[in-house]
Amino acid sequence: MLKKRSSLKIMIALTTALILVLSGCAGTNKGSSTSDGAASVSETNTAAASEPAKGGELTYALATSPDTLDPHRSGLAVAVRAIRTIHDSLVAQLPDGSIQPWLAEEWTVSEDGKSYTFKLRQDVKFHDGTPFNAEAVKYNYDRILNPETKAANSAALIRPYKSAEVLDEYTIKLNLETPSNAFLGNLSQALVSIVSPTAAQKYGDQLGKNPVGTGPFKFVSWEENSQITVERNPDYKWAPPLVENKEAPYLDKVVFKIVPEEATRIGSVQSGQVLAGETIPPQNILALKKDEKLQLFQSNTQGLPYTLFINQSKAPWNELKARQALQTAIDVDAIVKTLYLGTYDRAWSPLTPGTFGYDKSLEGGVKPDLDKANALLDELGYVLGADGIRTKDGKKLTLHYVDGSPNREKRNDIAAIIQQQLKQIGVTVEVEITKDVRTVVYENGNYDIYGNSQVNSDPEALRSFYHSSAVNVSGKQNLPGYKNTEVDSWIDQGLIEKDPVKRQELYANVQKAIIEQAVIIPIYVFPYTIAASKSVTDIKFDSLAYPLFNDAFIQK
Amino acid sequence: MLKTISIRLFTSLLVILGSLVLVFVIVYLLPGDPVMSMVDPSTVTPEVLASLRAQLGVDRPLYEQFGSYVSKVLQGDFGKSIVNDDPVLPKIIAHLPATLALTAASCLIAAVVGIWLGVLSAIHRDRWIDITARVVGLFGISMPTFWSGILLILLFSITLDWFPAMGSEGWKTLVLPSIGLGIVGAGFVVRLVRNSMLEVINEPFIVTLRAKGISEKLVMYRHALRNALIPALTMIGVLSGDLLAGTVVIETVFSRQGIGRVISDALMSKDLPVVQGVVFFSAIMYVIINLIVDLSYRIIDPRVRRSQ
Repeated sequence: MLKKRSSLKIMIALTTALILVLSGCAGTNKGSSTSDGAASVSETNTAAASEPAKGGELTYALATSPDTLDPHRSGLAVAVRAIRTIHDSLVAQLPDGSIQPWLAEEWTVSEDGKSYTFKLRQDVKFHDGTPFNAEAVKYNYDRILNPETKAANSAALIRPYKSAEVLDEYTIKLNLETPSNAFLGNLSQALVSIVSPTAAQKYGDQLGKNPVGTGPFKFVSWEENSQITVERNPDYKWAPPLVENKEAPYLDKVVFKIVPEEATRIGSVQSGQVLAGETIPPQNILALKKDEKLQLFQSNTQGLPYTLFINQSKAPWNELKARQALQTAIDVDAIVKTLYLGTYDRAWSPLTPGTFGYDKSLEGGVKPDLDKANALLDELGYVLGADGIRTKDGKKLTLHYVDGSPNREKRNDIAAIIQQQLKQIGVTVEVEITKDVRTVVYENGNYDIYGNSQVNSDPEALRSFYHSSAVNVSGKQNLPGYKNTEVDSWIDQGLIEKDPVKRQELYANVQKAIIEQAVIIPIYVFPYTIAASKSVTDIKFDSLAYPLFNDAFIQK
Repeated sequence: MLKTISIRLFTSLLVILGSLVLVFVIVYLLPGDPVMSMVDPSTVTPEVLASLRAQLGVDRPLYEQFGSYVSKVLQGDFGKSIVNDDPVLPKIIAHLPATLALTAASCLIAAVVGIWLGVLSAIHRDRWIDITARVVGLFGISMPTFWSGILLILLFSITLDWFPAMGSEGWKTLVLPSIGLGIVGAGFVVRLVRNSMLEVINEPFIVTLRAKGISEKLVMYRHALRNALIPALTMIGVLSGDLLAGTVVIETVFSRQGIGRVISDALMSKDLPVVQGVVFFSAIMYVIINLIVDLSYRIIDPRVRRSQ
């Protein structure tokens, strides 16, 4: 018996060792043979020295399955990657924040800021042959407002749109309820891009499976959980200033493969089964940089960084000192460096650096200081017990930390590190990971800290998180439960202020107030990262860091 | 014979109906609101929510929802996904073949590898073949499928480039996932076949057969294995259900199409009609497999045939 046991153990050990060696070889072989080749990490593109090669099929691995390809009904960033290839918008926003023509050639804004008159391009046709004109634009925006469409996300984007008037075939006037500086920028977003009215009427709620737009690529097929195929639109000649190629794209096809498992996705890019793959985690970014067959495309997203919102409607976090204790006890630098290995930028403000109005002066402002954090909690009357936990009136100081994703971008690991860091000042952190944040956070408000981020092109995005009138579905407060009349008025003024310099100042005030009052703890700016084979050239990004394939080609 | 089958069919119907009721109640009792998963909670207005709820009928009491659902199912209408309005039935039918192929292939691997190793291991008890077989069995049982799946990809896809790491087109994409899943089943079957073979080998009738001078091979494969197969078959029947459930993980790892992924996506977004549809079909498949297993006893074991 004894002999049998031990030989079994030896076999297990040997087999394990064999597997480890075999799989280890996979990594080291590639790594060592290519360590001299420095991979190029480009913000926008690789050296575009070579002449674009026409034709070919770009396979692109997506991390999750899109919900629908109907832009007006989609709520997922991953869907936008495909939606963007099929649909165009009225205007384009450049990374510098400026608004440029796209399907609209020019526009004027009325004196009161409540109506926009657009002159449309006259040479644009939808993929199904439907002419693009003022009627089509009106149909689209009215469709978004129609509750039948169930367009919750795009409806929020075109707010405060009220009605459209067709002035002549290629001129349209859009009327707003109230003036809004964010309106034009939001029109540039893919979720309010223009669909073919003929197709929308024909397919109804199945438009998402049969999308028809005016974009550089035409929809071919969608095999659910497997792939989405789009092909070149040969008639295309109305590309936005975001790309160089104004004509039809070089690629014959883009095939979006849906590959949810990270290791499989990266493995497929490494083995050449797909030419490009999205959402590459930090530890792989470092390894892929050394692989001379591969390259990385990266672009920081805009809007709100990944932010920890401290719930002020719960004690003791309604006290500034308690929040400041968290702010000084949590070492964000250490977290970002440890988890993202220098591949993500640390966030300093409620906005990301690329967003209009970002206040650079906040950078380097908050420094970790355990002594100060301890002193602040002492002042609040929390006494350190023998077990290392602070108590007041017999109640332990605990913090309920809610996260809504199964470790997306290592967000659960952030929670774990913060748990350790706050232990040092005598705060117990209970981490709750739940998919159902809608109930836990938005309906029941059962959180002390909740982390979230939002991609957006305008600082108006601050409203739904920090304006005291912003309520969520259940009619409850904004995420941090923050009420500050000054901040409210700055956000309100920011929406209508025409002078960009003054507007910038208003948003700088908002950001400073939020950080000074320790309303939130900003953590990291998410870089959208694509790993691609070296032959893939010129994938570009729009201002929200969504990929554009107009200029992309595959080197022969 | 006819009576047995009709009783089996009747109980099978009960199982299917029972699973429907159970899923309905469980999903209903889960916290959260399916409508909320359709919209962005930070921007949607209460009016939009209320109208969506009314449209979907989720504001009605449970028994009403269940009643109308069952009556629709009987007419072949499984409803529409609340996430993207896809009709449920075509969605399941489109995804079913990939999952069936995967389950069948991994069942086959589990059965062939499991029985073969099990027999070898019993015949060569305590020798190196036996030890290897048992190590393989232990490995199969104890390795989580997502882990073995990734190892398979690392080795056979990235390093050796023999099989694709992802997709569900063609037989080549079936190889790695069905090995990943089949090895789990094989692990259980090896142990079982080994044990029952060892039991059978020492029975008097084997001794008699040997005494008659029948060749050892014939004794083992014709007579002993036949007796050891019955428990193995039951095991494979039960395993097929496990394997069906295992497709949820394996299909995600290998980016395959299939109802495993359909249901995991649907559960994440509380897409009630889709969850119910998939459970309904899984129940039917499970029942069919068990029926086949039951009937095949009669072919293998004359005692079962005679006792009825």
